[in-house]
Amino acid sequence: MNDANRSHDRLARWRASLGGWILSGYGVLAYLFLYLPIVILVVFSFNDSRSTSQWQGFTVDWYYAMFDDRQIILSLWNSFFLAVVSTIIATVLGTLIALGLERYSFRGKTAVDSMLYLPVIIPDIAMAIMLLIFFNLSGIGFQPWKVQFFGVKLAVPYSVIIAHVAFNISFVAIVVRARLAQMDRTLEEAAQDLYANSWRTFRRITLPMLMPGIIGGALLAFTLSLDDFVITFFTSGAGFNTLPVRVFGMIKKGVTPKINAVSTLMLVVSLSLVFLSIIMRRRGGDDEPIQFGF
Amino acid sequence: MANAFAVELRNVVKRFGDVTAVNNVSLQIRQGEFFSLLGPSGCGKTTTLRMIAGFEMPTSGEIYIDGEPLGYMPPNKRPVNTVFQHYALFPHMTVEQNVGFGLEMQGVDKAEIRRRVGEALEMVKLSGMEKRRPKQLSGGQQQRVALARALVNRPKVLLLDEPLGALDLKLRKAMQMELKALQEEVGITFIYVTHDQEEALTMSDRIAVMDEGVVHQVDEPENIYERPADRFVADFIGETNFIPARVVQLGPPVVVEIAGRVRVPAAWAEQGLSEGDQALLSIRPEKINLYEERELGEAGPTTARVEGRIQQMVYVGTDTRHTVRLADGSVLVARLQNIHTEEEPWTVGERTIVEWDAAHARVLRV
Amino acid sequence: MEQVLRRNPALRGWLLVLPAAVFLIIFFMIPLLIVFVYSFLERGTYGGVIWQFTLENLARTFDPLYFSTFLRSVYIAILTTLISLLLGYPLAYFITTRPAHQRNLYVLALMIPFWTNFLIRTYAWLTLLRTHTGLINVSLTSLGIIEKPLPLFGNDFAIVLGLVYGWLPVMVLPIYAALERLDKSLIEAAQDLYASGAQVFRRVIWPLSLPGVVAGSMLVFIPSLGAFVTPAILGGGKSLMIGNIISNQFLAAHDWPFGSALSMLMMIVMLLATLIYFRWALREGVQP
Repeated sequence: MNDANRSHDRLARWRASLGGWILSGYGVLAYLFLYLPIVILVVFSFNDSRSTSQWQGFTVDWYYAMFDDRQIILSLWNSFFLAVVSTIIATVLGTLIALGLERYSFRGKTAVDSMLYLPVIIPDIAMAIMLLIFFNLSGIGFQPWKVQFFGVKLAVPYSVIIAHVAFNISFVAIVVRARLAQMDRTLEEAAQDLYANSWRTFRRITLPMLMPGIIGGALLAFTLSLDDFVITFFTSGAGFNTLPVRVFGMIKKGVTPKINAVSTLMLVVSLSLVFLSIIMRRRGGDDEPIQFGF
Repeated sequence: MANAFAVELRNVVKRFGDVTAVNNVSLQIRQGEFFSLLGPSGCGKTTTLRMIAGFEMPTSGEIYIDGEPLGYMPPNKRPVNTVFQHYALFPHMTVEQNVGFGLEMQGVDKAEIRRRVGEALEMVKLSGMEKRRPKQLSGGQQQRVALARALVNRPKVLLLDEPLGALDLKLRKAMQMELKALQEEVGITFIYVTHDQEEALTMSDRIAVMDEGVVHQVDEPENIYERPADRFVADFIGETNFIPARVVQLGPPVVVEIAGRVRVPAAWAEQGLSEGDQALLSIRPEKINLYEERELGEAGPTTARVEGRIQQMVYVGTDTRHTVRLADGSVLVARLQNIHTEEEPWTVGERTIVEWDAAHARVLRV
Repeated sequence: MEQVLRRNPALRGWLLVLPAAVFLIIFFMIPLLIVFVYSFLERGTYGGVIWQFTLENLARTFDPLYFSTFLRSVYIAILTTLISLLLGYPLAYFITTRPAHQRNLYVLALMIPFWTNFLIRTYAWLTLLRTHTGLINVSLTSLGIIEKPLPLFGNDFAIVLGLVYGWLPVMVLPIYAALERLDKSLIEAAQDLYASGAQVFRRVIWPLSLPGVVAGSMLVFIPSLGAFVTPAILGGGKSLMIGNIISNQFLAAHDWPFGSALSMLMMIVMLLATLIYFRWALREGVQP
């Protein structure tokens, strides 16, 4: 009887550890699936050949080629300018609307609330053609904003800036609202109890406590703006390129390691932004699991 | 305005939609008093406090501080300060900045703020903690910072919303004593919200017992316990026996009939009862004695006696709870202190005579 | 002014909401309305419209030529969602079983690919999948494993693979959140009540993680249905989805009313999916 029990016991233990091994093995495979394509992409940006599938030796020539390409550099500046401007506007508007919706009740709040979520739900192709028609019909927007940005002369259509603000407001508002919702309201009451008027309560308590949320929202907006291809592509009119739009055009013409080099550059920028947002969250004393706007 | 009450509420009502949180409450709180609002959660005590602080505005009625009506005055203009339930310390400021915040908002100059913050921290025994952040402090220390942050403004009234609720039992007991001593030292009127009756009884000069938005009794702790005004107060504070009774005579003396046909005297009958009504005789378990027939002494005019049988005995340390079943099936509990004598203990099923003095018995409405 | 605002907090709320609300009304709601109106107008010769009411555009969306593409898009989106769920659930479970202090790191590792540009991630697969010059076929051929290149590119397989790769993280995240929240004593209670491993999963873990599963499925389904970049790059110009047909109406065919009608159809399906989701969430009492 004891023997039977013991062998049953061993079988159960073996099955449990087998399950654990299968799960771990699957986990490793899943992460390989996520990372391998990106790693291969980066590796072939250093390939000493026009091929992106056969390794011919190491070179950084494609990076030289990238930085020599005036079009790429210009589109890089366009991307940054667009991201900076649209992030600033979207962050201000998004923070205000988040405060209004989270802290006050008024008629029409539900309608405003639903309107705020629509740009997040609607796929970018739908939003892109909506805005394309709108700018065409209204006749506003396609003329460029001519501006000096860090000494570089840029011409960025207002339509693209407006489009980026339009999809970023909602993301900023959602992030800021989440922060507001988990904020302890008695802190504001305590400030009022200690003779602070509404403005000073906001300035000294609400805003500092909200700052990690606002910065998180701004970083999200900045990333989304840098990454956007579809909406920019449709709303910019002819002749204006951001880096993703430029890359799309290059891909359509053919695959070269130069695209891999540009991709690697964009990858580095995205990674830096992710780590920056993690650092900001840590500073904000936020120990919550990483959410990135979800 | 020396004669005015520190805080007065006149017919204050607060409704949230269909819910009436505070229903026609009138209170008069004296200068320098330690006044508690006591009641179960949701009884309206916190809402009452928040209306005094200005976080909520009464639906109707008026609140006065030092005889001045407050009207719609915002919280930052009111001469009161609050110690919040979970302290509400500003996490992004140091202890010093937290305590100095109110003075800063009032435009007090920097040197003065420094001096007074130092004094306040000394008063709550937190000197040396100035540069710490709230997160780096223990619960008890955070509680003291909250206290200092309120008291440093020298408010006319200090409002405390269950300030000890988050502390463990031992620390809570210590803080009760400290808080009481502090109140006597600074002489400021304290309004203290709690659901802990023992806390209220220990610390307060007077207590208002609230339930469902209504004040049931305002009195000194001893009266609240010994002379509850109605069934809710008797039931909520401590342990009590409610024996079904019929009013025979409203007196004086008050006489009721219990356990079938036994007539017993009582000290007091609640307003609104008339002779022949069904009522409850309220008597605390520790006021009751059990005797064997042969031990009985002379019955005075205020002696109440009724026969019963021991149903159950439970040893609870300092005393033993004896459950006694009366002739009509009603049950009462007597707590007899465990002073060891040669006496024989009671046994279950034994016949006994239950006796108490009418002074402790009150007739309450059902 | 201060007085007026203090007395009227609703006004203050409105003032805060106003700038963003006005912006979104002008640059989002009105464009949405225009698309709606455009789907009922006749096409102009060089793009644009003629202000003449017609139902022809809506009728044409049901033309088999376009409607089949639309149905295929729905099919691809559903397939993408199911495969993401199949791959994502065990991955979420895997993260949940890691030691507590490592879990955030695993989640971060999951999100890093997601936060790199979608276009680039799609391009990465292009370099792997292309029929004659893609890394996979080149490697397999040179190793002698296959003689003819595998049909990895320019078909639905490539599109579904690209979409699954792109959206897998947003499937895993809500499922992980649900599993993480799950009270471990519930599993122990089920075991205590004689449930086997499979029964514990089916009766306790799965139902309690369902809100995460549904949320993740929504997050994958909607962008998959509206995909434009993935079919444009991995479809090789042959395999298209509704998003590409729509864009063609604007970029090539200059038939704006028909493009509007097609995108209305797409948005209606998404709106329906979202509404069903919210009603479900409301009924189940979960936070959407």
